[in-house]
Amino acid sequence: MLVLNPRQVTFGSATWGNVASVSIGRTSNKLLAEWSDEGAHVVLADVPEQLVTVRVVQEMLGDDMDTPKPGESGELTFTTGANSSDAATREVTIASAVVRTVSYETSTSRGSRRYIELIAVSSNGTTDPVSVDDA
Amino acid sequence: MASSFKGVNLFGSGPHRFAMAGQGMRAISLAAVADDPTVEGSAWFGDLELEVHVRGRLVAASESALWTLRDAITAQADSDNTPVPGTLIDLHGRTWTSMSLYRYEEAGSVDRGRVWSVGYLCRFRQFIGT
Repeated sequence: MLVLNPRQVTFGSATWGNVASVSIGRTSNKLLAEWSDEGAHVVLADVPEQLVTVRVVQEMLGDDMDTPKPGESGELTFTTGANSSDAATREVTIASAVVRTVSYETSTSRGSRRYIELIAVSSNGTTDPVSVDDA
Repeated sequence: MASSFKGVNLFGSGPHRFAMAGQGMRAISLAAVADDPTVEGSAWFGDLELEVHVRGRLVAASESALWTLRDAITAQADSDNTPVPGTLIDLHGRTWTSMSLYRYEEAGSVDRGRVWSVGYLCRFRQFIGT
């Protein structure tokens, strides 16, 4: 999932501004691939463990002294929309997200950016940690 | 064709592979036999008992269905059934008679993804002394 220019991103009690994009990636933390005695090809594949990560990219306009820290946990929400009107706006909520990394990039052509990567945590292991609702 | 043990398709829920364990004779140090470390050499003793291993993954659509598959195998491996040997047939029709399923081991935790599954190793042996 990729959201460009979300209107607002909140993490716990903090509001993150100038967000260029929010992307949600899903990777397999454990992959099952099984072969049989019948031939060369995989006959069973499954992903019993997956990792959902959220990457928030912010344009930084000045110094950044109050940064999130790895291990911090909170609810992450942001809204999406095709344009600046309220039509077709949806709200993405991750009830529990944990900060994994915070890093920066500084460029004379692109300015400064802050990258925050978080891990989305499920409430019970079965429920998808990411929910999308009409705003 | 489906594999079977005593005519029951125990492993057909998921992929599984057959492998032969060691075959031939057992070489034993004569020093160990004589309990004398100065004795040189070794000697062979009788043929190894035929052993076949089945390694695979049980696959089910629910927790309870997976337990049904696991219980069916462990029931064959317990002391009520193990003394009663049967015929083991692999996926290509190779047949081993008088085999006993004497051990069932799971390869870690149950995996709960799109399906419920667990890896396993079953050891079959053609016991001579029983």
